[in-house]
Amino acid sequence: MNDKKMLLMKIKKYDFALKELNLYLDTHPNCRRALTLFKQYKQLREKAMNEFISKFGPISPEDSNDSSHWNWIDDPWPWERS
Amino acid sequence: MNLDLFDNIDGLLIRERENYLEDTEKIIRPDNNSISSRFPENTPLAMAYVPYQQWGDVYDDDKALTQGTLFPELDLPFKGGSRL
Repeated sequence: MNDKKMLLMKIKKYDFALKELNLYLDTHPNCRRALTLFKQYKQLREKAMNEFISKFGPISPEDSNDSSHWNWIDDPWPWERS
Repeated sequence: MNLDLFDNIDGLLIRERENYLEDTEKIIRPDNNSISSRFPENTPLAMAYVPYQQWGDVYDDDKALTQGTLFPELDLPFKGGSRL
């Protein structure tokens, strides 16, 4: 698996863990252990997202952070990236 | 969202959880005719009950995505209508 795919996979896994914790916390809003784990996954996701965006460009338009060029329209598009 | 109602029945749920293993055992034993309920003795009939989830172990993110849940106690693959 190449670097790009591995990073996307990581983001996917972190997103899923965060969604699961989101649903758990909806019914257990004061569970400290769930809150701690949510925070950890949030940081992991942020790190992986930043790494992906800096190496391979934005995943969604709001990830575009170049002040001189709108790199969202640069090829390849996210769904074309292998 | 006010969920205090759920907190009040924690004790009941813990008891229900403790009973779970031995009751499962009773159910899978084919020669045992006295299949007892998972619920406390005075549970009213004709009501629907959802056991309240308690925090326990979690899978790592790798396994969670593969199994479709972060929580081992919710990892219940469909086996033709039976979990046994």
